[in-house]
Amino acid sequence: MVTPMDLIRKKRAEAVNRIISKGYLSTKRVYVGMATCEIAAGSKDVMAVFQDAIAKGLTDVYLSQKGCAGRCNLEPTVEVVEEGKVPVKYGLVTPERAREIIERHLKKGEVIQEWVI
Amino acid sequence: MSDKQYKLTFCDGSGCLKNQAREFRQVFEEELQRQQLQQNVQIHLSGCLGMCGKGPILIVNPGYIMYGHLRTEDASEIVQEHLINGRPVSRLIIQEDHLYNRFFRIFGDSEFFGRQMRIALRNCGVIDPEKIDDYLAMRGYEALAKVLTEMTPQQVIEEVKKSGLRGRGGAGFPTGLKWEYTAKQTDPEKYVICNADEGDPGAFMDRSAIEGDPHTVLEGMIIGGYAIGSRQGIIYIRAEYPLAVQRLKKAIEDARREGFLGERILGTDFSFDIRICLGAGAFVCGEETALIHSIEGSRGMPRPRPPYPSVSGLFGKPTLINNVETWANIPVIIIDGADWFSSIGTATSKGTKVFALAGKVRNTGLVEVPMGTTLRDIVFGIGGGIPNGKKFKAVQTGGPSGGCLPEQYLDTQIDYESLAKAGSIMGSGGMIVIDEDSCMVRMARFFIEFTQDESCGKCTPCREGTKRMLEILTRITRGQGRPGDIEKLERLGTMIQKASLCGLGQSAPNPVLSTIRNFREEYEEHIHQKKCRAHECTALLTYVVQDNCVGCGACKRVCPVNAVSGNRKEKHTIDPKLCIKCGQCYDACKFNAIAKV
Ligand SMILES: Cc1cc2nc3c(=O)[nH]c(=O)nc-3n(C[C@H](O)[C@H](O)[C@H](O)COP(=O)(O)O)c2cc1C
Ligand code: SF4
Ligand code: FES
Repeated sequence: MVTPMDLIRKKRAEAVNRIISKGYLSTKRVYVGMATCEIAAGSKDVMAVFQDAIAKGLTDVYLSQKGCAGRCNLEPTVEVVEEGKVPVKYGLVTPERAREIIERHLKKGEVIQEWVI
Repeated sequence: MSDKQYKLTFCDGSGCLKNQAREFRQVFEEELQRQQLQQNVQIHLSGCLGMCGKGPILIVNPGYIMYGHLRTEDASEIVQEHLINGRPVSRLIIQEDHLYNRFFRIFGDSEFFGRQMRIALRNCGVIDPEKIDDYLAMRGYEALAKVLTEMTPQQVIEEVKKSGLRGRGGAGFPTGLKWEYTAKQTDPEKYVICNADEGDPGAFMDRSAIEGDPHTVLEGMIIGGYAIGSRQGIIYIRAEYPLAVQRLKKAIEDARREGFLGERILGTDFSFDIRICLGAGAFVCGEETALIHSIEGSRGMPRPRPPYPSVSGLFGKPTLINNVETWANIPVIIIDGADWFSSIGTATSKGTKVFALAGKVRNTGLVEVPMGTTLRDIVFGIGGGIPNGKKFKAVQTGGPSGGCLPEQYLDTQIDYESLAKAGSIMGSGGMIVIDEDSCMVRMARFFIEFTQDESCGKCTPCREGTKRMLEILTRITRGQGRPGDIEKLERLGTMIQKASLCGLGQSAPNPVLSTIRNFREEYEEHIHQKKCRAHECTALLTYVVQDNCVGCGACKRVCPVNAVSGNRKEKHTIDPKLCIKCGQCYDACKFNAIAKV
């Protein structure tokens, strides 16, 4: 008999597959904070910059939104997570900063220390 | 030698300290020095990681390699093998797959996050709240599956009881007991409610929890429904939280599609569904009996208890009401176990608590810490202390129902009993840091104005009493305080506490009474010397020009009533009779030559 636990394991495996098929294993994962507070601080514009860059051909990046991690005074926040590296968290990200993050961090692998939380 | 940058996180929680964690760290640091590696590592201390039995603990990033049971003699091996040769020491690695750890993996390397422990908020800021796949990947709905596969409702209740979880909505009632009472009722129709009203001014814990991870709340509620034998859950949430509502709606639809909600959940005989009920956003509607009236369609007014909602709640049926954060803890208790959960915290208060840290503190935001963390750890550790070189004055906890604690209480451990003993409460998690520039009388006045405004008016002591208190406090802040006002406030306050029907009235005087208790001299100064030491009460301050005035005339130009006089390049003066105390001169002066006295 299939138990609920068997079912959930199957569902999880499928979910993980779907996430991977959307490019999760790309070299870099970018998370943009999109809670009410983050949005109020301007994160929608930041998100748009990343979406735009991907639409225009930025590759090897998995983009996702996330809820609020709690850094209210430093929002909008963006995290760049790379396997095998210490995750990088940027605070007070503006669309201009987002463009720099794309140019310098995502394309050239340079962590922009001044904006790191 | 490797030129890699490592981040080392040493657990500095009390459990690990008991296991000689500090001695280990010292030897480790000496070893780093010997190998001249200080430049290649960043050392960081964390609060309890929930693995006290395995302490001392060291986490090495990148890679999130976790070492446990460390002895001083292991230090050189880790430095040599891992940091220099890049080969983690497998014999010392511990595997920990607790749910909360996932947050730490990404965020655990800063002062702000490293000292936290996230159970309720474990997925907030980590997953995409609008994708059920993300939640499933984080072992989402596994607790539900576990309950349905191998636990009877009675066993679920036992597990929640054993965990020691208490309500996070304010009063701290043992959650398992509440579940047991409701389960015992024989009525076949029962309800499960999630209280997401969140009316405290400045509080946003519940909103963030829902926006960041809506499925967790749903999963907790479904498990609750199974445990008490209910088919219907309701989330009562205020309409001012549109994003939270939208994410909840999506989560409910997705959960239905996947078979976690609706008829015959995951192929079992258990059926349960959840709907959303929008509240208009009145503070009193967070009170459980008022909330029930509001869902029933009548005006949100409290009624006397007993009967408690567990016996007679929504539409007269047994009803289980818990707060958002309480629900969010349930899946973790089921997966990681009551024993693990109850190993976190203090004797009377288990697990963690979420706070909305605000006010005069460097890092403001949402924090979740193990019970037993001290106020000092939060304000000065996670919060980073008071900005602009100002002095700490007090910390207000519990919102309008809570109290103000001055410096001597900073080492109070956060748990329900300790905070109550210190003269405040845990409440739902508001925490406002107050520095020397804030006037305690005004602070008290702010909260009483709020509760006075929000009183439903059903009982006289609350309706009229808070009004009288507000009048007196307003007079005091305007410099019209009279001898005897303090005593009158105390008498009124005690009376309102005793004679009010619901928690709103019963707790409304708390901010006033606790500021009188701890800052009585400030009240006295206002009343007798017409002085506000924080210079916040405009009526009680005078603007004067000091000797460092260079005579630039900036103040003169902005003064709307021409109260400033003086020649260029000579010291100016302000005529106190003309001055309306708008403060524009104070803001305009670039030389800080104008003072409030
Ligand atoms: C005036 C007043 C306002 C309240 N507001 C809330 C609220 O916003 N959210 C909440 O969960 N509980 C609130 N409560 C507490 C609830 O009445 C109830 O105790 C709680 O929802 C029970 O859940 P818990 O056991 O999980 O804490 C309030 C109580 C009072 C007296
Ligand atoms: S105490 Fe205040 S809020 Fe509560 S029922 Fe009475 S009047 Fe209403
Ligand atoms: S104190 Fe280190 S794990 Fe608890």
